[in-house]
Amino acid sequence: MLPKFTYSRPGSLVQVANLAARPGTRVHAGGTDLLGCLRDGVFGAESLVSLSGLSDLRGVTPTSGGGLRIGALTTIAEIAANDAISDRYPALAQAAASVASPQLRNQGTIGGNLCQKPRCWYYRGDFHCLRKGGDTCYAFDGENQYHCILGGDGCYIVHPSDTAPALAALGARVTAVSAGGRRTIAVEKLHVPPSTDPQRETALEPGEILTEVILPPPPSGLRSSYRKIRERASWDFAVVGVALALVFDGHTVTTANIFLSGAAPVPWRARQAEEVLNGSNLDGATVERAAHAAVADAEPLAHNAYKVPLFAGLIKEQLTTLGGGT
Amino acid sequence: MTRRDSYWAEGPLPETPSPQSSPAPWGTTRVVGTRRPRIDAYERVSGTAVYPSDVVLPGMLYGAILRCPHAHALVKRVDASRAEGMPGVRAVMTGRSKVADLDWPYSRRDHSKLFDPHCRHEGEAVAAVAADTPQQAADALRAIQVDYEVLPFVADERDAVAAGAPKIRDGGNLAGEPEVSERGDVAKGFAEADVVLERSYRCAYEIHAPMECHGCVARWDGNRLTVWESTQGVFRIQATLAGMLHLPLTDVRVIGHYMGGGFGSKLQAGKYTVIASLLARVTARPVKLFLSRQETMLCVGNRPGAEIRLKAGVKKDGTLTAFELSSLTSPGAYEVGAGLLDWLARDLYTCPNVRTESRVAFINAGPARPMRAPGHPQGAWALEQMIDELAEAIQMDPVELRLRNVPKVSQARGGKPYTSTGLARCLEEGAKAFGWSEARKKQQQNGRYRRGVGSAACLWIAGGGGPPSTVIVKLFADGSVNLNMGASDIGTGTKSVMAMVVSEELGVNPDQIRVENADTATTQFATPSGGSKTVPTESPAVRDAAIAVKKQLLALVAEEKGWDPADLELDGQAVVSRTDPQRRLPFAEISRLQRQRVIVGVGYRGPNPEDAVVNPFAAQFCEVEVDTNTGEVRVLRFLGAHDSGRVLNRLTYDNQVFGGITMGIGFGLTEERVLDRRQTGKMLNANLHSYRMPTALDVPADMVSLPIELGDTECNTTGAKGLGEPVTIPTAAAIANAVHDAVGVRVTDTPITPSRLIGLLAVAHKEG
Repeated sequence: MLPKFTYSRPGSLVQVANLAARPGTRVHAGGTDLLGCLRDGVFGAESLVSLSGLSDLRGVTPTSGGGLRIGALTTIAEIAANDAISDRYPALAQAAASVASPQLRNQGTIGGNLCQKPRCWYYRGDFHCLRKGGDTCYAFDGENQYHCILGGDGCYIVHPSDTAPALAALGARVTAVSAGGRRTIAVEKLHVPPSTDPQRETALEPGEILTEVILPPPPSGLRSSYRKIRERASWDFAVVGVALALVFDGHTVTTANIFLSGAAPVPWRARQAEEVLNGSNLDGATVERAAHAAVADAEPLAHNAYKVPLFAGLIKEQLTTLGGGT
Repeated sequence: MTRRDSYWAEGPLPETPSPQSSPAPWGTTRVVGTRRPRIDAYERVSGTAVYPSDVVLPGMLYGAILRCPHAHALVKRVDASRAEGMPGVRAVMTGRSKVADLDWPYSRRDHSKLFDPHCRHEGEAVAAVAADTPQQAADALRAIQVDYEVLPFVADERDAVAAGAPKIRDGGNLAGEPEVSERGDVAKGFAEADVVLERSYRCAYEIHAPMECHGCVARWDGNRLTVWESTQGVFRIQATLAGMLHLPLTDVRVIGHYMGGGFGSKLQAGKYTVIASLLARVTARPVKLFLSRQETMLCVGNRPGAEIRLKAGVKKDGTLTAFELSSLTSPGAYEVGAGLLDWLARDLYTCPNVRTESRVAFINAGPARPMRAPGHPQGAWALEQMIDELAEAIQMDPVELRLRNVPKVSQARGGKPYTSTGLARCLEEGAKAFGWSEARKKQQQNGRYRRGVGSAACLWIAGGGGPPSTVIVKLFADGSVNLNMGASDIGTGTKSVMAMVVSEELGVNPDQIRVENADTATTQFATPSGGSKTVPTESPAVRDAAIAVKKQLLALVAEEKGWDPADLELDGQAVVSRTDPQRRLPFAEISRLQRQRVIVGVGYRGPNPEDAVVNPFAAQFCEVEVDTNTGEVRVLRFLGAHDSGRVLNRLTYDNQVFGGITMGIGFGLTEERVLDRRQTGKMLNANLHSYRMPTALDVPADMVSLPIELGDTECNTTGAKGLGEPVTIPTAAAIANAVHDAVGVRVTDTPITPSRLIGLLAVAHKEG
């Protein structure tokens, strides 16, 4: 049952930012995550401020520099169906298409997808865990089959977004607007690891509104992909997932960006795998080495050691697919 | 009556009066057996069908239940004083409320208090409120303060029987002594075998998760109670309410015209049914009380998981020599039944030496309820994988091994014959239609994707139906018909099937037949729709009632016109002579009918054959593709060959087959209740997102239903046997066998997730 809250729908970003800065206020975009959290009592809210009055925040447009601007209220379904994105940034289109279910993709927004709350079943359940201000992570000693193998520190969630690793791999930035001004943040830096603060998911300050995602122009020779493995074919978060953005010069990989979903409390950059790939040809041995390097530092919990071979298999598959024809 | 028998027959066999007719089996049928859309399809699809959760009454209040958040706790104190004074709150009820001081029968063998201070599972009822709005009711629940003494818990049956486990029932954690069944000499059987295999299997707990949550609306008129309940059987709800509230049956009316699925979880009343009735009584207002999805996942049933150890012996020629099966399972914290895991090992194949030992342990989890073929999918998961493995060991096709061991009699019932057994034909014709032999002869596969095929067979312990059932058919002056029956249509098409039976006998178009059902005040007693027995129970009674109408009508005309009644029949609009085309009397011209305005026929369900067993049989076949990189399994196609006697409506029959396979895919690939086993015992996935039921994308578009009709003239007067449960029994085992065929790995635990399979593939690769 939803708690009581006041609801406002201002027509200007400044008004939204001012309202959102007040304590007890949450920002409402698509609402697919927010309303569920409120209904289940994951957190409360005294007031909601809606973004839906801000038509500037919708749609995909080219930037002057040759990239794309995606308004924060653009739905996941629109992104999955956008030709410019499919052609130039397939990783993002594939990530969007793999989000949730058709109904949720029609309602959920890209801004909301980046700012969503974790899906850890202790966090979502009736447990006063570390992330909710308690003093323990129940997953650490509990049912942690879907939890992290990398980057856990006091809290062992995995970040649930599919689009975040794809955007991070593609070098995207987001714009955050507040009453005091605006700043841009690389998607790679948007999410906060538990070692920094186990009670925050993003670097946004109270009153800061994520208004847009800016994709840089795709470098020539860019190939990108996103794929996740899940336990049912639709409406399921990644058990493991990988976003790849590789820049080729002929047969040689000049720059490799690899971000994992389902691995860590934030979209996880697989630097060791990137290092294996940078300057290499994607031959079988390199692919194999990179796949294992990606999870070389994994520290599985009691019930998620399976993620290590699963990541290795998935990364191998995706590298082989991207490398096809080189 | 043993524990394992209680699901399908409780107490002495019921009876109704003898049928008034003993009609010959149908020969060629006009309507029965065709594909006909449901008679209530428009109402269901357009949204005009009123389900219990749609019922809104003037002045109606909303009830809600406060539930224990702990797996095991004692309620020390409940302070509801703040809730009582809140706006809109009309009643607050706790264990101290005199009106609610009632025993709640979890089963015939076990009970608690309605609000029991000893909460043995998460979600047990602690208090309840009724308020003007659902929001006010929810606020009131939050305002009730409860002091709990949290007790040590057990969340897994393996933990329950471990040394030093917390004792969660006074009598210990085991529900009685292990139940043993034995025939022949298993030691001798294993000594005679050429191959003996012993394996352990594990099945996860499943939740029914019907689309409509459990709940009801209760209203009092003086001392008479009316309840709209989402149920599989209105008469069982009526009996429970009348018993607990000390009311005569005639003063309890339960209505359940439509209901949104149950799968066994709505065969009985819930605590909520009684609580809603009590809240309505103390407030003198109608009360609606529907559970949330989370509450339904905690409190109103599950399919017990199981540990099954199976040892089996076979000779090189395919003769099965012995089965030894031991199982451990749990019905939750109360003794509500969790048996039948061993029935297939005892009865499906010819085997002279069988010993089974079944243990049932208590855990601090919600009570089990029967779920679509209790015990059987779990038993098939073990037995049908074992058969597959035995066949491989003796280098025989697994279908062939099954065919060599098809029994002619029910060995678990002392050798009584079946009225009909289509097991062999299901296997043979199913394999042929599937292309089994061709699919098995595939090339060596070395790539990343590997395909495999699997098969599994089953019978279902019940499925014959039986008395009692009383049905009334009324023919009106214009030739339209009312069919009045007590049985619920739980979404399977019962109403449509029964209208077709009436149509077959009276010639009236099914569109001219209205069905009035599932109302204790206006229809006659019927048992709940469950156990795959609704069609074999009700269709003979419906046929009997229709024949009773026909006989009266023909007698009227014979008398009126001086024609020979034996020469007359109905064509739906008139009484006609079989021999003389001149003799035709339309309904409008039958003067007695026009004066009397109605002809009433009463039909009864006669007894089943005494010396034979009525069971449905089946074999299913599937093909899967496994991604060896990731452990992902895609089901490519399925075929269900089912002997469920005569097909009454081919369309709803096929729907049942596809629905059962879909549910079996969930059991095999995605569904699993997860409890926080080590820390709190609480359920972690009590929602439809993280408790994964299969989506349309998890189910193959290529599904085939192949009915095997043997013409069973002995089982009952329509020749129909049950279908609703056998359709889901062999499915998961067939998938596991197909996965093995594809990648050579045996997955012994459900569900076959990528995470589970990738681990097994990695091990196999290392050992490779």
